[in-house]
Amino acid sequence: MMETWVVATGLIGIYLLVTLGLAVVAGRRLTVDMEDFFLYGRRAGFVVLYLTVVATFHSAFAFLGSGGFFFTHGIGFWAAGAWTVLVGAITYVLGSRIWALGKAFGYVTPADMLADFYESEAVRIAVAIVSVVFTILYIQVQAIALGYIMDVASGGRISFEIGVIVMLVVAVVHLMIGGLRAVYWTDVLQGVWMYIAIWAGALLLSFELFGGPFELWRRVAVERPDLLTLPGPSGFFTPGMWIGMVITLSFGIVFQPHMMIRYYTAVDGKTLKLLGATTPIYLMTLYIPAALVGLGGALVMPELEAADRIFPELLFAHAPAWLTGVILAGAAAAAMSTLDSILHANMTVLTRDVYQRYVARGKSQAHYVFVGRIIVLALLVVACILSLTKSDLLVHIITLSGAGALQLMPAIIGICFPGGRSLSRAGVLAGLVVGMIILWLTLVAFPHPLGIHGGLWALLVNAAVAVGVSCMTPPPSGETVARVHGEVERFIAQ
Amino acid sequence: MPSSSPLRRRFLPRTRDGRIVTFIFAALFMLAMPPVTHAFLNRIEPSFFGVPFLYAALFVVYAALIAVLILAYRRGL
Repeated sequence: MMETWVVATGLIGIYLLVTLGLAVVAGRRLTVDMEDFFLYGRRAGFVVLYLTVVATFHSAFAFLGSGGFFFTHGIGFWAAGAWTVLVGAITYVLGSRIWALGKAFGYVTPADMLADFYESEAVRIAVAIVSVVFTILYIQVQAIALGYIMDVASGGRISFEIGVIVMLVVAVVHLMIGGLRAVYWTDVLQGVWMYIAIWAGALLLSFELFGGPFELWRRVAVERPDLLTLPGPSGFFTPGMWIGMVITLSFGIVFQPHMMIRYYTAVDGKTLKLLGATTPIYLMTLYIPAALVGLGGALVMPELEAADRIFPELLFAHAPAWLTGVILAGAAAAAMSTLDSILHANMTVLTRDVYQRYVARGKSQAHYVFVGRIIVLALLVVACILSLTKSDLLVHIITLSGAGALQLMPAIIGICFPGGRSLSRAGVLAGLVVGMIILWLTLVAFPHPLGIHGGLWALLVNAAVAVGVSCMTPPPSGETVARVHGEVERFIAQ
Repeated sequence: MPSSSPLRRRFLPRTRDGRIVTFIFAALFMLAMPPVTHAFLNRIEPSFFGVPFLYAALFVVYAALIAVLILAYRRGL
């Protein structure tokens, strides 16, 4: 009988080969066209869009970080349900409007939309910087998670560093071959695989260790009741932290470029609304097995120091080899689906907002697609370097990442909700700059003052500054406001 | 022409159905946020088949919120 590590590593290898195979097929259908390479030709239907959005939203965070959070801080992480439902509502209302504007004016990146409405190249640069800087942190998270998964799956035979490099190379190669089409197609596979894997693993462990999920809950209530109430054993989930995480991990993730670009790719607005109405079903229910893993793990392996490793450690100790392999491959899929999406988003932003705008205007579509592929290679190097910094609590890094993109919220709302006086370019820029400073102060220097999440502090100050400065500076021209807001109104009236 | 109505309230839904759905969603969402979560739902008993009250109650609220979103879609809002 084969050892668990052989089966687990072999299945991850098969998964990687399937991913590359799909990329090759996708690459054959690729045309030399920026919209095709960067935006799937704006033709993504419901099923593909659904699975790519949920697979991208749920990353290593869902597989490793969330179980670790339930393990450490208890039931407070069930706030996740609130932010996933909010993601659905945001997609329904804001996402569909962003799609309408992208379709009408040919936007490719978030900065396209913001620079157009606020009539400012400075806004374009600021948004591009925020988009890239904060999502690079996200690349780091996924790469670290993939390194962990390979390390655990192989029983330490494949080192963390080698695991990171192998996974990053596969992500980059399949993105270079097939562009966003390859990312979407592999996300379909990954979205299905990760959902089945986490449910199968959690249910198996709960039956194996406790006799079923309900018995698991009863045992936690008796042995660790401190895990079942707020604010949790270490007092982490204060009201301010709850609200902050809900806002940061909903708006903050939706406003990241890899999510916003997905809105542009929908075939029509109705598809996006259906997406918004139904994505929370997948997103929210994925945290049910995560709770079983984390809370059950707290009873079975209370001494575990690296909380993020609770799921794979339980599998290795208590699940059959083949299932452990399938589930760890699912975990790899969760991280990979987010990683390739972020690499794609960064490539798109750097190609469109920097290279095409400021380095080489007026070149052919094929030229920009080629440059995009070169940029992905450069990102591979950056991601490898960043991944040398390890962290056991992935969710903290994700929160920092989401909190950065959250600072785009006042500017985006100013575009998507017509009416009243618009924010000005000076207001948006001032808000962003001050927001970033406050973010550093409240997340790094003095984390979460008064128990309120730093991202929320930054957003509040950012919004106040943006509104205040906008009252004293000229808004965008009436022509632009009428054009963009008119398009939003037309979409709403349909 | 809608864009010629600058005094229209920015965040006010345009239709009656839209306003009702938005109100229901917002009201339900408040049930999943402090102080409700930390003051009223924050207990283990009564449990539902062993599932603690806080977890079960929030699950019901989340399911209701998803139902409201689906209702909004079905009504074409």
